[in-house]
Amino acid sequence: MKQVLETNGLVCPFPLVEAKDAIGGMDNGDELVINFDCTQATEAIPQWAAENGYPVTHFDRTGDASWTITVQKA
Amino acid sequence: MIITGLIVGLALGFVLQRGRFCVTGAFRDLTLTGNTRWFSALILLIAVHSIGLFLLNALGVISLEASPFPWLATIIGGLIFGFAIVLAGGCATGTYYRAGEGLVGSWFALIFYALTSAVMKLGPGASFTEGLRSITVESGTLQASTGLSPWVFVAILSAIAVWVTVRHNRKNTTPLATLPPLKTGLAHLLTEKRWNPFATAVVIGIIATIAWPLSAATGRNSGLGITTPSANLTGYLATGDASLVDWGVMLVIGILVGSFIAAKASGEFRIRVPDQATVVKSIVGGVGMGVGAAIAGGCTVGNAMVSTAQFEYQGWVATFFMIVGAGVAAKFTIKSGPRTGVAQPAESKVV
Repeated sequence: MKQVLETNGLVCPFPLVEAKDAIGGMDNGDELVINFDCTQATEAIPQWAAENGYPVTHFDRTGDASWTITVQKA
Repeated sequence: MIITGLIVGLALGFVLQRGRFCVTGAFRDLTLTGNTRWFSALILLIAVHSIGLFLLNALGVISLEASPFPWLATIIGGLIFGFAIVLAGGCATGTYYRAGEGLVGSWFALIFYALTSAVMKLGPGASFTEGLRSITVESGTLQASTGLSPWVFVAILSAIAVWVTVRHNRKNTTPLATLPPLKTGLAHLLTEKRWNPFATAVVIGIIATIAWPLSAATGRNSGLGITTPSANLTGYLATGDASLVDWGVMLVIGILVGSFIAAKASGEFRIRVPDQATVVKSIVGGVGMGVGAAIAGGCTVGNAMVSTAQFEYQGWVATFFMIVGAGVAAKFTIKSGPRTGVAQPAESKVV
C-alpha cells in the first residue's frame, strides 16, 4: 500500500514530524510518499530513513525547490 | 577594505545554504528528539574556529581582547533568542539564508529581527540594553578564571569534537539516499551534491577564522557577527549615517546574496508564501530574535560560534540558555498529530 503525504508549504521540522506520524500507523512494507519544499528536509528525511533502516525507494526533484521521496516502512 | 566583508559573506551564505547548516535545528533536536548530530557538527565548528583564533592570536595576526561577563543579560537574552528562533524557523544566519532561498516567512522574520535589534542597540531600547549588560562579573573567560593556557581548553574541546564526529559518522551504516545526479565535476560538488554536516562545519570554522583578521584590518576587531551588523544596516537605511556601514554590514549583505546565488544555482530558489499562522510566528520570532540577541550580546553566530571559540562565559552561557529557550518553544509549538488551523481534506491520501 502507498500513502501520499503533502507537506508543501511546511517548514522544517514539520515535514519530518508529519512523516514520523504517518509512518507510525503503517504496516511493514508499506510505502510513504512525502512531497516537500523545505530545503533542509533533503538532508533530514534521508537521514531519518537511514537511521531507522527504512529503504528509500524513490527520491527526486519535482521542480524548483520541490522534492518527492518515497520511504518504505521496514 | 570593507569589501572583504562582502566576499566572506558571499562564501558563508553559499556554504550555509548548500550545507543546510541550521543551528536552530541543532538546538531544537536536542530536546525535541534527543538527536545530537547537528549539535555535534556545531561543536566541531567551534573547535576548528578555536584552533584558528588562538593560532592567529599567538602569531600576533590578531589580538583577542578579554571583556567582563554580563551574566544577567546573557541569560535573559539567550532564553528570549532561543525561544524566538524556533518560532521564526531559523537562527540569525538561518533566517538570512532561508530569506535568500525565497521563503517569505523568513523575509518577515529577517525584517523584524533587523528592526528590533536596531531598536535595542541604537534606538530607544539602547539604554535598557546597556543597563542590563552593565551587570557583570570581572573575569569573562575560562582561561582568565583558571589561569591556565587557552590551549588546554582548545585541546579538550578538539578531543570532544573528534570523538563526536567519529561517533556520528560511524553510526550510519546504510548510505544516505541521494538525488539522481544531473551535473558533473565542480558543478555537481558545489550545486548539487549533499554536503556532510561535519564537512560543512569545518568549512564554516575556517571561513569564521579568516573573517577575523580581514575584519580587524578595517578597524573592527571581531569576527563573524550578525546582530550588530543587522542593527547597523537598519540604522544606516533609516538615517543615512554612512559611518554605520562597516565590515559587518557588508558581511550580512553578502550572506543574503551568497545564499540566493547558491539556491538559484542549485534549483532551490522559489518564492514560497506561508500560511497566516506561519507569518505571525515568523514576525513574533523575528521581534524576539532582535531583542534577545541585542540583550545577550550576540546570536547563534556571535555567541554560539565566535564567543564560545574564545572560551568566553558569555558564549557558553548564552548557548546553554538558547538551548533551554528553544526546548521550551519546541515543546509548545511542535506537536505531532494532525495539523491545527489548516483544512486538510486531501493532504494525506491512500492510493
